[in-house]
Amino acid sequence: MRAFRVVVIGGGATGIGILRDLSMRGVTAVLLEQGGLAYGTSSRFHGLLHSGARYAVSDVEAARECIEENAVLRRIGRHCVEKSEGLFVLTAEDDEAYVRPWLEACAEAGITTEAVAPDEARRLEPALSPEIRQVFRVPDGGIDGFRLVWHNAMSARRHGGQVRTCHKVTGIESANGRVTAVEVCDTLKKETYRLACEYVVNAAGPWSGEIARMAGQTVDITPDRGTLLAFNHRFTSHIVNRLHESADGDIFVPHGSITILGTTSARAKNPADTTPAPEEVLRLLSLGEPLFPAVREYRILRAFAGNRPLYTPPDHDAGRSASRNFVIVDHEKDGLAGFVSIFGGKLTTYRLMAEKMTDLVCGRLGVATPCRTAEVPLAEQPSEEMLARAARRLPAHRTQLVAERLGDQFADIVGGLEKSGGSDLLCECELVTRAEVELAAGDEATHFLHDIRFRTRLGMGTCQGSYCSLRAMGALTEIGAPFAADAQAALRLFLQERWRGLRPVMWGAQVQEIELGRAIYGSTLNLNGGDDETD
Amino acid sequence: MTDIAQPDRCIVCTTCTVMCPVAKNCLDFLGPRMIGPAHQRFRLLGMGEDESLHYCSNCKNCDISCPCDVPVSTFIMRARAEASREKPPKFRDWILAHGELLACWLRFIPAVFKNFGMGFAPVRLLLHALGIARQAPLPAFAAQTFRRKFKSLSQPQNLPRQVVLFPGCFVDIYEPESGLDIVAVLNRAGYEAITPEGFVCCGLPLVANGFWQNARQNARRNLEELARWTDRGLPVLTACPSCALMFGKDYAEYFPDLLPRNLSPVLVDVCEFLTGCMERGELSAPDVAPGAATTGDDHILYHAPCHLRALGAGLPGLELLRLIPGLRAEYADSGCCGISGSYGFKKDKYAIGMRVGSALFSAMRQSDAKLCASECGTCRVQMRHGGGKQTLHPVSILRRWLDGK
Ligand SMILES: Cc1cc2nc3c(=O)[nH]c(=O)nc-3n(C[C@H](O)[C@H](O)[C@H](O)COP(=O)(O)OP(=O)(O)OC[C@H]3O[C@@H](n4cnc5c(N)ncnc54)[C@H](O)[C@@H]3O)c2cc1C
Ligand code: SF4
Ligand code: SF4
Repeated sequence: MRAFRVVVIGGGATGIGILRDLSMRGVTAVLLEQGGLAYGTSSRFHGLLHSGARYAVSDVEAARECIEENAVLRRIGRHCVEKSEGLFVLTAEDDEAYVRPWLEACAEAGITTEAVAPDEARRLEPALSPEIRQVFRVPDGGIDGFRLVWHNAMSARRHGGQVRTCHKVTGIESANGRVTAVEVCDTLKKETYRLACEYVVNAAGPWSGEIARMAGQTVDITPDRGTLLAFNHRFTSHIVNRLHESADGDIFVPHGSITILGTTSARAKNPADTTPAPEEVLRLLSLGEPLFPAVREYRILRAFAGNRPLYTPPDHDAGRSASRNFVIVDHEKDGLAGFVSIFGGKLTTYRLMAEKMTDLVCGRLGVATPCRTAEVPLAEQPSEEMLARAARRLPAHRTQLVAERLGDQFADIVGGLEKSGGSDLLCECELVTRAEVELAAGDEATHFLHDIRFRTRLGMGTCQGSYCSLRAMGALTEIGAPFAADAQAALRLFLQERWRGLRPVMWGAQVQEIELGRAIYGSTLNLNGGDDETD
Repeated sequence: MTDIAQPDRCIVCTTCTVMCPVAKNCLDFLGPRMIGPAHQRFRLLGMGEDESLHYCSNCKNCDISCPCDVPVSTFIMRARAEASREKPPKFRDWILAHGELLACWLRFIPAVFKNFGMGFAPVRLLLHALGIARQAPLPAFAAQTFRRKFKSLSQPQNLPRQVVLFPGCFVDIYEPESGLDIVAVLNRAGYEAITPEGFVCCGLPLVANGFWQNARQNARRNLEELARWTDRGLPVLTACPSCALMFGKDYAEYFPDLLPRNLSPVLVDVCEFLTGCMERGELSAPDVAPGAATTGDDHILYHAPCHLRALGAGLPGLELLRLIPGLRAEYADSGCCGISGSYGFKKDKYAIGMRVGSALFSAMRQSDAKLCASECGTCRVQMRHGGGKQTLHPVSILRRWLDGK
């Protein structure tokens, strides 16, 4: 007996988008993710909802896809999109000759550009360099990858889709040139089992090569590593791009309370190679200076890296020249029916990628229901009544924040707050309440503090988890959250991951912050279990 | 050039919140770290203010305690200024912020009526209705301001040196005697005092109550006036630590564009100046006052105003008292008195202020000292109110000893 017709591998934007689309079309489907939701590239990216202007000159087709999907996401994903505009800035170091072809290419792709006088741009963004020469406004936006993935997951579930996290695919079985089942390991229970299905969708991002190999197939992808810097505050409220041929370190994206500078591009050792190096950090800082001359004075919260699942057919180079377009491979042509892979593309185009992939699978399964993901919002807007009820429990300025974070679970939180309270802040840097932490902890896809972090931003602010992780563990132990059983181990895991991003940026105020954290956990709480000194 | 609006220096150690007297005594207040640098990150995102912003008393214990030199109270005062643009402060706050202006208007009313007015029950009821606590020790307007009294004062002829005195509003409006004490002691040290008409209120009460633009105008006038005197090489003294803090530190953080060459304009603490006079031999320490030992007046309990500590230049008032032979000056070391300018007068803040000051009040009660001292005028008001003991400016005490009283 088959419980599901389709198995989707990979809980990033692409996979979860496909799960939602399949579920909305009435196809029974389950998504398997080796870690937690958005543990892959979809949380290790720049957060830019591309207007396409960056690709206009090099790849007009990719640019067109971006601007179209940009408009769609503003419509269906209002909770996840930050409507900051983008500025393309010709700095003292950029070639003026690039401006005309860029403007023409944008026009061709359907991307509106509007000239802004440099003085006006500096009034809008006082931190910009006084030496900027030309500025254009484009419809770039910000997008929250964590939230996007989670809201897709909640929507998929409402339509019957299932999400299994901490489920690592270990094999793909076939008979007579057809996929029959997937072998999967529940890494928490340490149990391996088979899931019979008709179709397997490989949406494992930079890992999709490995998944294909399990099925005896190959796909042409190269994991391409990009490093990013998150700064402690929002020194720009516009997305600021350098107006030149795409290169490293040329975009600043304001993202909630922080600003992100990126990226680099280099071949990754493997898909999990995401530990940034101090040299990359220093390089990014100097690359950022032509736009924001004071960039070295701003405090870096952390560095992080992600791997692009870049499509590199044999005759192509990897890196910046590789296509940003997405690719769907139907492995039936290579002798394995029921196995399809999707990779490349961008987070901005995740929905379109999902639509195309779901069209293909539905066609094969004989399902004629059309795609509706471009029309149906990921989450409902909260009602006035609900907002008013929330405002009685939460400070006014925080109500909207919570509503956006939680999407369709907003009503649950309001109900919870009314019943049992919990409006006290566990994470003060990112304003996360106890009620939100408890709600996130109760989700069946939550197994670690990280999942709560992605869901709520707990631990993502100035202190990088030093205070809130302890408080959260306390609250979770109290309500008996399953993973809180070994609170010490859970805490250590969380802090180590936080510190992984701090190690490459140990200077200035950040090093003081780290020392404080070390003192709290290493000395006061003796988390590492050092011996009693009096012995 | 680091922008003052950046929250980056804060390492979230929460020391400021632990040291904030208001946070300790009012659970509704989120505290300095949250309302200051933490919320700053969300202000940059366009998020509205936390409702508890108004609880901050601007006592600046957060700034004093921060190990990272974060301008915590400046974040808060700037936020209050922004919030006041959208929602203008209450009339009550206007009254409390504009003491100088009120005094100016009241000049034409005979003193008996003024004093009668402030202590008069129906008036207090009216003020209470406006939001000024009925129990609060609102000081009475003096019959004549210090500046008017000063004009008719004849200082000794042929004094060899000159100094400028910035009295501060409190001394000017409510306690001119303290000002006269200072002039008398300066004269004795060989200084003729000048109190120019050009100076106005330093603006600190305006900032604390959300009148940012008025404060800015005052800052501009004061800086111009200050330059006139310092250009002539004359030191400008003040008896009020809050005025000294506003000039020496806050102007630079609030209105950096008004400062010439980023230089901090300095008002010299009058106690520090007089200590110098003694060291230079311009002023000889008084003899032991006759009879003091038997009446118990030889023991003084000294309270250091928060704004004096925020200046970070020691405790010159206490030092001065300790230079008086035969006088035992004890340091109360009990934190904030709770008044913070006009904060403790407000109906919704009075109880908080009294709780904040309770440690000092009990120190005053437990001490053998009959007389207390503090440089700040409103601290003195609050100390008399909460601690029940006479409290004077250290220079007033010095004068009594010099005069053998
Ligand atoms: C540095 C950088 C910056 C970027 N910036 C932007 C940007 O600003 N805007 C934009 O639109 N795009 C950006 N991108 C591109 C975008 O992030 C990716 O295209 C997108 O996130 C890919 O999503 P995905 O779901 O395909 O892959 P992923 O998010 O990586 O998801 C794949 C998932 O598969 C899981 N998986 C792997 N193996 C297994 C297994 N055996 N069993 C079960 N699960 C498995 C992984 O754990 C992972 O969660 C950026 C990329 C990088 C690297
Ligand atoms: S100024 Fe005083 S009351 Fe205001 S936050 Fe700082 S310590 Fe607290
Ligand atoms: S403002 Fe200063 S004292 Fe307060 S938490 Fe930050 S670093 Fe610590």
